[in-house]
Amino acid sequence: MDFNPCMKHKLVRKTVRDFSEAELGPIAHEIDRDARFPWQVIEKMRVLNYFGLQIPRKYGGAEVDSISYAITIEELSKVCASIGLCVTVHNSVGAQPIKSFGTEKQKECFLPPMASGERIGAFCLTEANAGSDASGVETNAVEVEDGYIINGTKIFVTNGGICGYALIFATMTTGAGKPFTNVFIVEKEMAGFSVGEIEDLCGMRANPVSSLFLEDCKVPFDNCLGQPGSGIKIALTALDSGRIGIAAQALGIAQGAFEAAIKYSKERQQFKKPISSFQTIQNYLADMATEIDAGRLLLYRACALKDENKPFGTEAAMAKLYCSSVANRTTNLAMQIHGGYGYSKEYDVERYFRDAKVTEIYEGTSEVQRLVISRAVLSQHT
Amino acid sequence: MMKMLKLVTCIKQVPMVSELPWDPRTGTLKRNLADGMINPACRYALEAALILKNTYGAEITAITMGSDIAEEVLREAFAMGADRGILVSDPKMAGADTLATSLVLSRAVQTACADFDLILCGCHTSDSETAQVGPQMIEELDIPGVTYVDRLELDGRLLRLQRLSDNFIETLEMELPGLVTITTQRQAPRYVPLAGLQDAFTDKDISRLSLEDLDLDPELTGAKGSPTKIINVFSPTAEKDNIIMKGSARKIVQQLFDQFDDKIGGAIGKDIKDYQESQ
Repeated sequence: MDFNPCMKHKLVRKTVRDFSEAELGPIAHEIDRDARFPWQVIEKMRVLNYFGLQIPRKYGGAEVDSISYAITIEELSKVCASIGLCVTVHNSVGAQPIKSFGTEKQKECFLPPMASGERIGAFCLTEANAGSDASGVETNAVEVEDGYIINGTKIFVTNGGICGYALIFATMTTGAGKPFTNVFIVEKEMAGFSVGEIEDLCGMRANPVSSLFLEDCKVPFDNCLGQPGSGIKIALTALDSGRIGIAAQALGIAQGAFEAAIKYSKERQQFKKPISSFQTIQNYLADMATEIDAGRLLLYRACALKDENKPFGTEAAMAKLYCSSVANRTTNLAMQIHGGYGYSKEYDVERYFRDAKVTEIYEGTSEVQRLVISRAVLSQHT
Repeated sequence: MMKMLKLVTCIKQVPMVSELPWDPRTGTLKRNLADGMINPACRYALEAALILKNTYGAEITAITMGSDIAEEVLREAFAMGADRGILVSDPKMAGADTLATSLVLSRAVQTACADFDLILCGCHTSDSETAQVGPQMIEELDIPGVTYVDRLELDGRLLRLQRLSDNFIETLEMELPGLVTITTQRQAPRYVPLAGLQDAFTDKDISRLSLEDLDLDPELTGAKGSPTKIINVFSPTAEKDNIIMKGSARKIVQQLFDQFDDKIGGAIGKDIKDYQESQ
């Protein structure tokens, strides 16, 4: 068991850090304030393979290992969580289902534009009455002579406003049989597909989260992903990988807040001493450092299992549950260490604080992660 | 058919600037604690080589001298587009000054890429700033060379170079083979693509050269072959002083001009006193 990062992983971290600090660092505050998606930076990221991280080489991807993937998302999110979010959602729950469940023809058609970032992916499960309950999807699809007609509304879709492909989960019924869920790859130009207003959210404001509308949207047979009725399986498999990405994102937010807190605590003088010399602040920093380290180990274990093609769902749920909770505790303490300045938009910790919260909500709430973990634990101890 | 242009870039691993841990007691750099990176000017030299490769077609050999961990900079060079990587490593080379280093690098170039057309070095390193290795290699290899280059174009076997020298832009021509040292002024190095980084660890091999491979006398390398002796290395300290001015705004501004006229004027590019007197 080697806990030291290998040379490749050190270089991946340095590479993404150099890019993030140079390109996202100077604009992170402004794009959050203005809720602006930074297309100019995205253009630069496209040629550097950020949108084809785990897509196979034959479809134009970089095919990086899962620890490299997690490091990439962590380092992007440490500087700008909104872009970390865009990249991880696109790669994990956007491209991964096509890679895992698509036919060869679908892979050849859809993966190359995703790998190049020409088409950004979105994962559309959540609805007004469905989210944690994946089987409660009310969007419906009806089979017609030359494809399917889809109707419904998806909400809180990450990358919604910029997506080229949207994976739409819809319920189908055939004859008197039980309803089942299918996944459809809907292309943004398809008639009947439209994007709603960009949501005005607490955090992740540079990511255009939106509703998506499907009004008699006609989709060809070739755009149906997986076997009929495999929608729930596709969703749960995608979310296992997605949790690695969100855990990495939460870890990046925590690390960013932690480093800001260390810097500030060394600079800020009270009672003629830097506040880092006070034991209370030292205790805060010690707790933050310990929890971030623990989260990172949980996350990399899930990644290593995934790369070994072993079951990793429970470990990914543990990493997501813990890292998102660490992100919230760390950003809270970082703001506390900053005092009144931390509550001001002048300092980045205010953004970290807002961005952290949703990591406990999306891609499976903390409550759902506990459900996944407890089921595994209980089944192991009969 | 013209033969493929053969470029060599000499790159050095230096401690990461942002993570330089100094021992305040001894005033020395704790190199073992610092992460390494490609010396910034060497990265510009590699970028210049990559531009030549993209424009004219070329094979790029990256050479570094250092311990095993210096392999990292060669992997990064692969990821950016270098074709071959040579790690010159031998415990007997430790403690080399610029003379011993340039001798080893010159011999490595002759051993690994004897038919080179152009060697590109960074103009200086961030951890020693001597700017001596490039010029010393020019002497050692007995080839033409130009230092502090920020632009280069190839016309057959003629290299046209541009450099900024004492506020003049010089345009020079040099026959190949030769050596240039590149500044950090012009073409910012490209970002490393993540696919290239994966390939750098799976598809590329690094050749290792020892003193024996270079057929060099150990007396001429490492600390033994280094006439330069470092007496002391210390971190310069900048001291700051807080001055609190009291009184009305007008009075404070007057005091500012009286006490800091030269500094303020320098910062805003005006002679404040002359300006005030002319009003």
